[in-house]
Amino acid sequence: MNVDVAVVGGGPAGLAAALAAKEAGAPRVLVLERDFELGGILQQCVHDGFGLLRFGERLPGPAYMQRYIDALAQTDVQVLTDSMVLELTPERILYVASPAAGLLAVQAGAVVLAMGCRERTRNQIWLPGTRPAGIFTAGAVQRYINMEGILPGRRVVILGSGDVGLIMARRLTLEGAEVEGVYEVMPQPGGLTRNIVQCLEDYNIPLHLSHTVVDIHGEKRLTGVTVAQVGPDRRPVPGTERYIPCDTLVLSVGLIPENELSRGAGVELHPVTGGPVVDESMATGLPGVFAAGNAVAVFDLVDYVSATGEVAGRSAARYAAGELRDGPALAVQPGANVSFVLPQRLHPERVHAGVAFYLRVKESKERAQVVVRAGGEVVKTLLQVVVRPPEMISFTLTASELARAGAADLVVSVE
Amino acid sequence: MGEEYDVVIVGAGITGCGIARELARYDLRILVVDKEEDVCCGASKANNGMVHSGYEPKPGTLKAKLNVRGVELYPRWAAELDFKLVQTGSMVAAFSEEELPALEKFLERGKVNGVPGIEIISGDEARKKEPNLSPEIIAVLWTPSAGYVEVQQVVLALAENAVANGVRFLLGAEVTDVLVEGGRVQGVVTTRGTFRSRYVINAAGVYADKVAEMAGAREFTIHPRRGTLIVFDKREGKHLSCFIGAVPGEYTKGGGPMTTPDGNPLWGPSAIEVADKEDTAVSAEDLRQVIEKDGRFIPNFPTDTVITYFSGNRPATYTEDFFIEPSAKVHGFVNVAGIQSPGVASSPAIAEMVVGIMKEYEPLHERPDFNPYRKRFVPFRERSREEQAALIAADPRFGHIICRCEHVTEAEIVRAIHSAIPARNVDAVKRRTRAGMGRCQGGFCGPRVAAILARELGVPVTAVTKKGPGSELFAGRIEDLRLEKGAAK
Repeated sequence: MNVDVAVVGGGPAGLAAALAAKEAGAPRVLVLERDFELGGILQQCVHDGFGLLRFGERLPGPAYMQRYIDALAQTDVQVLTDSMVLELTPERILYVASPAAGLLAVQAGAVVLAMGCRERTRNQIWLPGTRPAGIFTAGAVQRYINMEGILPGRRVVILGSGDVGLIMARRLTLEGAEVEGVYEVMPQPGGLTRNIVQCLEDYNIPLHLSHTVVDIHGEKRLTGVTVAQVGPDRRPVPGTERYIPCDTLVLSVGLIPENELSRGAGVELHPVTGGPVVDESMATGLPGVFAAGNAVAVFDLVDYVSATGEVAGRSAARYAAGELRDGPALAVQPGANVSFVLPQRLHPERVHAGVAFYLRVKESKERAQVVVRAGGEVVKTLLQVVVRPPEMISFTLTASELARAGAADLVVSVE
Repeated sequence: MGEEYDVVIVGAGITGCGIARELARYDLRILVVDKEEDVCCGASKANNGMVHSGYEPKPGTLKAKLNVRGVELYPRWAAELDFKLVQTGSMVAAFSEEELPALEKFLERGKVNGVPGIEIISGDEARKKEPNLSPEIIAVLWTPSAGYVEVQQVVLALAENAVANGVRFLLGAEVTDVLVEGGRVQGVVTTRGTFRSRYVINAAGVYADKVAEMAGAREFTIHPRRGTLIVFDKREGKHLSCFIGAVPGEYTKGGGPMTTPDGNPLWGPSAIEVADKEDTAVSAEDLRQVIEKDGRFIPNFPTDTVITYFSGNRPATYTEDFFIEPSAKVHGFVNVAGIQSPGVASSPAIAEMVVGIMKEYEPLHERPDFNPYRKRFVPFRERSREEQAALIAADPRFGHIICRCEHVTEAEIVRAIHSAIPARNVDAVKRRTRAGMGRCQGGFCGPRVAAILARELGVPVTAVTKKGPGSELFAGRIEDLRLEKGAAK
């Protein structure tokens, strides 16, 4: 099978990419989705708040996705669901397993990687204790409750205050479970402020900052956890241990871009984001391979995910048509108080209107300023009332601002 | 009274299943019972799968004899039962001059024990074999005969072959009493019925002392020793091809980093004496010790690629040797106890020895129809693209990838649930197929595996367990819970 653009993943990044590739004129566009239906993780995100930037509305996840699914239905983009990409080769051959279509080898002119992310597990944060049933990641709990109609447990402790965990604290409460509390190892919450208010405070669920789970009890089913306060070094403070009986521990301790395919193909990955190093076109270091959404870096708004998907899709169509030529690239570096910034490379000659930047800060700060410098010269500043690590900052660098940079590498800092 | 057997074997670990498979050669009615819902749930589950070469046990001990004999027999087991045996050798490292005498001691022991090819090589020679070894290692005891297996695959192979040759397995049956009349064993009472037999073989691991006590044949003691193992991502599997350990301490050789036959780096085990046989919780201290100790050997290893860790209890005896004897007090009751390291390596020889003990009770008659062969089902992920295409064409369920990390298909999970030793819970599916053993630890495939188990077992998904009764995964269906709540009001 030959296609111009193959999109791996039918979630918000993938569908935006497929539509954009089609609009940009790619004749044959194929979406490969491993789940039974399109929509990606948003299928299970039945809470609202999606699409504020994109549609000016607060949509539930499935409604947000339906707009893309409906738009896709108006095109001749080919969709294969229940189809898992087993391998991507550097020559852009995708090996796909599917019950209906068998084992396919798809040769693609360009590929968009939009596999999303996965959740960090109990082991990746070195939680000690026994290994009983009753320990779930927040996303798995969301799927069980919202899609399978199953309540995982009745008395719940949540570790980590990431957005999915906060949303599940509310959902579990609404479905009749008792959420004893949310414990966060850091001195500040991991999720968006609106979720702290709407999911915890509105339901009187206590949030314990600078606390973590230090032991897990129960041989078969979870019987309880021990929590403890942590010091500034994030180590448990002796004597502060407290036993909490519970049958369920929900973990919301971080997301990791999913890049098994990227890694297998030899795509260069960034040590901080965990996703491919990308340029302004969402091109990875591997020719003809683009990436978008949470596979690149974990975003907190789906609107941003879709936006990167559009860029990747459009660029992939141009690459497949032979229009996207390689040229010299500037490096974009994180400066003071910036943990990462996207894109990490930039081809100034490709930027016509402007280029969207996304960054996360390392530490919270009030009345902060985002500063873009090129060779020491300030090319842009942007005032922020407050910056927090969980809340991504996005801004556009216009072509004229970029022109001021000349050929010098860019450094983005938050001061 | 329940069914009658010639032999009841208590314990379905590598020892019990190995004995069952070797006794199946003879005209005997054999029953294997285990308190867990699956085979390989005790000490066999929680070790590093190393087939030790045999330099470590004191000459003259049972361990020394059975270890070396076991290594000799392993290739035949692997060939007949079609499990992976990777013989890449093993190393013991000396970081300083002070540790050299210990290497010399084990070189001598190895020679006396008959370990083939054992020698001491320089640190540089060792780094030629294993380039990622620490530059601080000055010398290494090298034994080329050491090998590695995936223990759960060995135990399953043994059990499946035993079943194919007429052995019966009754799992989820805890032994509550051993019947003895007139100084002769008469059978066992279990939570799933009473089974009369002329012989009882006690291969109950950390519980062997309890089972022996039930028979009035407690001729040894067991003290559990916890070991913690850490598994890392397969993509880091190239750091080492063989095991490297430290100079052994007084009671245990301790662990060290290695790579499993399936390609995961594996560190540990640690060794901590514990009072409770069921105490298999991993402590922060266990983890810290393993990381610190094993990290010395390969300093540049990225430990943040951890996938999982777990602990198990080794059934150590106070003599630190295996205890394999027909009871002096109860005729027909055979203790096969204290099988800790090098238990995996010794298991074929242990089975051979127990067959010998049985032959002293009475002559055994070989069955002409014994089939020593068992064919492994080669997993989807290990097959060529052409073979994968053919599998999906024949059964579309091979095209349905359930475990994204390990590329395990629905067909393989269904097969595991209906195999000779059926997988009845999520962990049992995992042991057979690797579904959930990857980096996401079942985050994606968990719901799907549970649904397949429910469908294939004909039970509601709320009855599906992680590892047997009491470990149900879910509180219930939301709809039912709402109805309950409504009724209560």
